[in-house]
Amino acid sequence: MIPIEYWLVFSSLLFVVGAYGVLTRRNAIVVLMCIEIMLNAANVNLVMFSSYHSALHISVDPSGQAFALFSIAIAAAEVAVGLAIILSVYRRYQTVDVDKINILRW
Amino acid sequence: MMPKRTLWWEDGAVYAIGGALGAMGLSFLVVWDVLMGNTLTDGSQRFEWLVVGDFSLTFGIWIDELTALMLVVVSVVGTLVVFYSGGYMHGEGETRRRYYAEICLFISVMYGLVIADNYLLMFIFWELVGLCSYLLIGFWYERPSAASAAKRAFIVTRVGDIMFMAGIIILFKYVGSLDFAELFHGTGTSAVPTDMMVLSTALIFGGAIGKSAQFPLHEWLPDAMEGPTTVSALIHAATMVKAGVYLTARSYPLLVQAPESLVFVACIGGITALVAATAALAQNDIKRVLAYSTISQLGYMTLGLGAGGYLVIHADTAAGYSAATFHLMNHAFFKALLFLCAGSVIHAVGTNDMRLMGGLGKVMKVTSLTMLIGSLAIAGVPPLSGFWSKDEVLAAVWHAGDFDPVFFVLWLMGMATAFLTAFYMFRMWFMTFAGQPRSAYHAHESPRIMTVPLMVLAGLAIGSGFALFIGEGFESFMAGSIHGLLHGAEHGSLADLAVGIFTDPLTYLTLALAVGGILLAWKVYYVPGFDRSVFAKGVNGRLQRALENRWYISKFYDDLAVKVVYALSLVADAFDRHVIDGIVNGFAYLGGNTGNLIRRLQNGNVQRYTGLIVVGICLLLILVLYVIPWGGW
Repeated sequence: MIPIEYWLVFSSLLFVVGAYGVLTRRNAIVVLMCIEIMLNAANVNLVMFSSYHSALHISVDPSGQAFALFSIAIAAAEVAVGLAIILSVYRRYQTVDVDKINILRW
Repeated sequence: MMPKRTLWWEDGAVYAIGGALGAMGLSFLVVWDVLMGNTLTDGSQRFEWLVVGDFSLTFGIWIDELTALMLVVVSVVGTLVVFYSGGYMHGEGETRRRYYAEICLFISVMYGLVIADNYLLMFIFWELVGLCSYLLIGFWYERPSAASAAKRAFIVTRVGDIMFMAGIIILFKYVGSLDFAELFHGTGTSAVPTDMMVLSTALIFGGAIGKSAQFPLHEWLPDAMEGPTTVSALIHAATMVKAGVYLTARSYPLLVQAPESLVFVACIGGITALVAATAALAQNDIKRVLAYSTISQLGYMTLGLGAGGYLVIHADTAAGYSAATFHLMNHAFFKALLFLCAGSVIHAVGTNDMRLMGGLGKVMKVTSLTMLIGSLAIAGVPPLSGFWSKDEVLAAVWHAGDFDPVFFVLWLMGMATAFLTAFYMFRMWFMTFAGQPRSAYHAHESPRIMTVPLMVLAGLAIGSGFALFIGEGFESFMAGSIHGLLHGAEHGSLADLAVGIFTDPLTYLTLALAVGGILLAWKVYYVPGFDRSVFAKGVNGRLQRALENRWYISKFYDDLAVKVVYALSLVADAFDRHVIDGIVNGFAYLGGNTGNLIRRLQNGNVQRYTGLIVVGICLLLILVLYVIPWGGW
């Protein structure tokens, strides 16, 4: 079995890459993609802990994997909503640059 | 615009007269019951007013000899004044509706004041008579002087009212009740410490200082003469100003427990009598002379009550108490008479200034004769009423001098006042009715609706003094209302009383002073050829100026109000503007400025927010994982 540290480092890197993208990219679609990367880092963690849980207790407990699947389904819905918002913002302002879309502050 | 002319019985006069007559009938029934010895103070007729938890306020009716006396005064004077108003207020047109409504309200709350059976209820009626006084002084509110006199009367008496309230609050704190039944009988006030008793009785008397226009709060009464003369007669001479004397007399069971307060009462009375009598010497407004005379006579009553308390304590006799209340009744009749006569004169001449009158005796025979009777009565010429009661008061003060020498000084002041009273009353009479007219006017005798009340009051001014000898005598009658304080006092027979009055050299001394005052006034103001400029020469004219300016007391209050109060107001204004407002505005600016600073963080840039969230989470993680374990918490 792959040691647990590998998984943790991998998911952390994945999360940090996603966070970096969210913080730095201007394009809203890229920001949305980066959020997906962060979500998948969490999913990797869920799957990994689930398999280790089964191995350590010598029993089959799929609840962690169920969580991961659930999370993926929700992420899909979220992307649908997010893309719809981006589309309507684009229609309204002719841009998807998150620096320019700032009137929600008030 | 002249008011619309209406007939004298219109605009509420009939209702007012009917109400006053009905109330007089009922009061006489009550007085008859009291005279027959049925007092209604057994406390069976009590009503619950307010219940808070296990505390309840009740009120009821307290009728004793003192109440009966006040009922006689209020009902007789009130009814006669309402009749007289029919003629005097005739020219006022429809504003008389307001006049009659206010005067009826006044009479009814005055009844309420004298029959109340606890201090709280009494205080409520006390404030209401003050309100009626305010409304009626300011009856001609279009005149600035009337409006400001009304305000002044209300505010000055309010000083006394607050003292009264403080006094009854002290009583309530220790006794837990304000009912006369509990305070006056048995051991109700045993819980009150002696010094607190002195304080509370002195404060309750403070209420009387305001309402009865005693020194140093007496200056509102002369100003109150801005109201119609009928109002001056009813409220500011005969009834309302007696409320303070009534309160002092009513509080006797408390006052005798605090001899210091009694001395205070007597001193205030003596000073008031003398100061007001001197101020009356130099007034030219006929109503102001009468106003100062009223203050002076109220001082006599207060002096008599203070001395009477000493007599109750040391000599076990109600002589001073009955003398003061007797003077109260007599004064109500002859002073109402004098005011209504003055009203008749003003009605005829159209001015208050005596310098513009003169020679009215020929055309106004009824008025001049009744006013002469009133002046003789107040000067203390036998057998008119003022003689008996003033002599009794002065005798009581003299007698109290046996127990405290201060009363001897007060007696001297009282004697001086007796002389001055005779002088200024006859100065007024001579200036008004004798000699030649000093200005052009077409005076005529007043209509019968006005002269009949004058004649009735003149009859009372002559006859009410003989109440001293009716039945078992006035003193033993009045002693009934403070019988709990007397221990089987012996009353001499009425024959002894009469002989005592006429064999006492003090009586003749008082009489000589009164006659001397009248003769001096006759010499100065009637006999032609007297050079009155000598008054202006005395003490370089300073004395006359001081008297004309009423000892500068009024000026002192005005200066006090203008300078001190205005300075205090400026300080208060600055405090309000800079400190109070400063705090409020400071908080507002703090909030606003902080908001302006913090809103910069909210710039709408999603990535900035996200960055802050990430940094925050990292900081929290560092805190939880490293700092807290490292610190050992």
